[in-house]
Amino acid sequence: MIDRRLIENIDWFLIGLLVLNSLLGVVVIYSASHYLPGHHYLRQLVFLGASLLALFLLLLVDYQLLMSFSFYLYGAVVFVLLMMLVFERFISKGSWIKLRYFQVQPSELAKIALILVLARLFAEYKRSHVSIPAVAMSSGLVALPFLLVALQPDLGTAVSFLPLLLGSLILAGLKKKAVIGILILSVLAGVAGWTFYLKDYQKQRLATVVFPGRDPQGAGYHILQSKIAIGSGGFLGKGFARGTQSQLKFLPARHTDFVFSVIGEEFGFLGVVDVLMLYYLFLWRLFRSAARSRDRAGIYITFMVGLMISFQLLVNVAMVIGIFPIVGIPLPLLSYGGSSLLANFLGVGLVLNVKMRRFANI
Amino acid sequence: MPAPEKNRFYEDVSLVLSRTSKASAVIGALLLLLVFYCWKVQVLDHRKYWALAEANRTRESVVLAPRGLITDRQDIILAENTASFKASIIRENCRDYERSLAEVGGLLEIAPDDLKARVAKYESQPLFRPIVVKDNLDLKDVSRIESRRLELPELIVETDPRRYYVFDQLAAHVIGYMQELSPQELKSEAYAGRNLGDMVGRTGMESQYESTLVGVDGQKTEVVDSQGRTRGEISRSEPTPGRDIKLTLDFDLQRKATGLLEGREGAIIVLNPRNGEVLALASFPTYDPNKFITRFSPQEWMELINREDHPLENRAIRGLYAPGSIFKLTMALGALEAGLITEQTSFFCAGAASFYGRPFHCWQRGGHGALSLTEAIRHSCNVYFYNVGRRMGIDRIADSARRLGLGDKTGIDLPGEKEGLVPTPEWSRSARKTDWYLGETISVAIGQGPLVVTPLQVALHTAIIANRGRRVAPHFLMASPLGQGQIPGTAGESTPAAKIRTEFFETVIRGMWKSANEEGTGRGARVEGFDVCGKTGSTQLIGRERAEKLGKQIKTHSWFSGFAPRDNPEVVVTVLVEFGGMGGATAAPLAKELFSLYREKYD
Repeated sequence: MIDRRLIENIDWFLIGLLVLNSLLGVVVIYSASHYLPGHHYLRQLVFLGASLLALFLLLLVDYQLLMSFSFYLYGAVVFVLLMMLVFERFISKGSWIKLRYFQVQPSELAKIALILVLARLFAEYKRSHVSIPAVAMSSGLVALPFLLVALQPDLGTAVSFLPLLLGSLILAGLKKKAVIGILILSVLAGVAGWTFYLKDYQKQRLATVVFPGRDPQGAGYHILQSKIAIGSGGFLGKGFARGTQSQLKFLPARHTDFVFSVIGEEFGFLGVVDVLMLYYLFLWRLFRSAARSRDRAGIYITFMVGLMISFQLLVNVAMVIGIFPIVGIPLPLLSYGGSSLLANFLGVGLVLNVKMRRFANI
Repeated sequence: MPAPEKNRFYEDVSLVLSRTSKASAVIGALLLLLVFYCWKVQVLDHRKYWALAEANRTRESVVLAPRGLITDRQDIILAENTASFKASIIRENCRDYERSLAEVGGLLEIAPDDLKARVAKYESQPLFRPIVVKDNLDLKDVSRIESRRLELPELIVETDPRRYYVFDQLAAHVIGYMQELSPQELKSEAYAGRNLGDMVGRTGMESQYESTLVGVDGQKTEVVDSQGRTRGEISRSEPTPGRDIKLTLDFDLQRKATGLLEGREGAIIVLNPRNGEVLALASFPTYDPNKFITRFSPQEWMELINREDHPLENRAIRGLYAPGSIFKLTMALGALEAGLITEQTSFFCAGAASFYGRPFHCWQRGGHGALSLTEAIRHSCNVYFYNVGRRMGIDRIADSARRLGLGDKTGIDLPGEKEGLVPTPEWSRSARKTDWYLGETISVAIGQGPLVVTPLQVALHTAIIANRGRRVAPHFLMASPLGQGQIPGTAGESTPAAKIRTEFFETVIRGMWKSANEEGTGRGARVEGFDVCGKTGSTQLIGRERAEKLGKQIKTHSWFSGFAPRDNPEVVVTVLVEFGGMGGATAAPLAKELFSLYREKYD
């Protein structure tokens, strides 16, 4: 049963910021897609309600209990991802499983399973620096879903698993040697990936980050149009639903990955700063929550959730303003998409879960 | 609530926590970097991106002004504008230029070479300019293009007002045709403000009154989306339509004249001698000016200009023919005025006569016997006029011809008119580098020799006679109170022919009347109760002797020119049929048809 003290300790301020950010997303999605069939903003509102409900349900279960089931959860997610690859033709399309009324992206939910399983792994880890077997173990745990998702192929989501690994290793304490080792490894992985894995269009995208004007109708098109949208917004923006780049469809994926460009175009620099400030307030509150956890596992969970959201935010914004290659990473909370929203809400739910149970034995 | 005491559930996590705050600080710093970059893009580089966004969303295009209508004198529309669809290619939007040409060619059924040649013509134009590849699309073509919009963003359909000649080839030589401006012309001063793909009048009224007919194109700025589709207009300046012109042509007479020439080669002119209004002008064979609008294929064009019967030539103003016996009127008037003959002067025709040591024949082998002037005109006797010619001499003959409208441009408002040639000894020395032979004077006396005129000159000549010496300026543009522009040369200044005494004209006209009404050579043109006065002509192409030697039947050009009624003439009809045989046999009956139609309609 839920104790009254638990409810008192729920961080309503954090939930408020979470919902506020998400509602802002609904508004921008409306502006970016109201002229398309499908009522995306209404659907997003439904997703928001469902995600909020899921968040509260999650609060009912002690995170310790969740962690003890984490390996089963992890196994289930890996199984689903594996099935998606094997029976790709029947049940899924890329990273999506198509259901009757909506589609699910299991790779988003895999993040939650990963957070729990990594927290479990490092919960009792009390050395000041991480050991080789622990690195190997945690890397292996992340590498498996990473590969499965990357093969879907959904590089963006796969890449967003990495900060979870990196975050847990940072907390566990990496030696300088290890940092260098990871850097060398990632360079090698980059080279190998470029040679063996990346498709031509992805290589082109990487190349066009450096030279977006080189091929304005081809690979550079998205970056250029996005930059034009943001740049033409100026200081004050063109006004709600009055951005020419988005309303006239020059901007690609306006309500999903490029929703930030719509903010930049319609609300200007002022709007961008406001949105990022509101966001930072939310992240700051999230990271601050780490100090309010009962145990090591709680800190890991809080930190990884914060990192998961920050990473996507940073990469997405860098991507739409043209300083990072275009990988399919949405702007968390603001981009249209139920699975991503649910994963982020569940993540915040875990943090709240940790925070409200900071007093032992309740 | 008391502060929680430390017990075994609370481990020491300060190290881990300090790592947390370091990491979150890094994230905050990165976010700040992004904000700075946004500042650069949105505030420092704002102008650049704003301009790019404007260029993205707007497209300037031309709103074509409808061209003025061309109507006949009863406001029957001869040339109007209809809407037509045209397909254009925008090279800028091609992904693969070669492949795209192949696909477009296949889709619209254009031969690959034609398409390539067409696009190559506009190589130097900017890439974003649409190049018209096919006109006059039917709805099937349009829907085929629309359905492939996404695959072929370079192919667009536009609507245009298109010139349409309602009666196809009717009066084609008067109305003229239009063609697209060439890239060279577009660069010239004369066509400043015109655009790629604009049509311009090349001949006829379309060319003569181009500046009246053409309007001023408008311009519109449209909002377009990323697919190039129009989403609305920002601004629009309306085009000023071209002004209509009303022609003096009479639709019925024109249709009749064209119909009469069907299957022949020749020209017919019907005009009003009082004011010079041209009621009909037909030249045959003819062509369909609509073909020029729809952009010929190169083969069609080559076929048309290489045809042996030259359908594009306007024989009425550009065909040069010996006037033949029609010239006898000039001879008679010239000699009467010079006092060399009188109405009573008679010569004896024995079928042939010898001048300057050479025999000259009359067309009547047996001869006409003794003839007076009016009888000589009636029967078109050659020998009579050989004698008149000898008395006059070439200089007087030439002077008389020029005064009566021959050998000079008539000044009609139709481009391309030819001068013809009234020969003189000076002309012979400067152009032929030989002296004038006296024998040639005898040939010229019956309208042969180097003498050549256009059918329009003959019509004007007839009008001057009908007016008893008053010259008029033939023209097509109807005078209107609104002022369509200056009607050329209508000023009735005293002309040289006006100096000839009216009684001389009456004498000649009596001969012409007899020709048509008293079993003369022009009897085929007689219309009961309309007092047609006329003169036939049959011009030899090769000498009669040579033809007889060759055993060939001579086919001569067949002329008739006349007016009616005798007093207060209302209408002049001139007919020329190439290789039509005797003027009385072929041309005169055609003229009769026109005289009767005129009478039915206007009397």
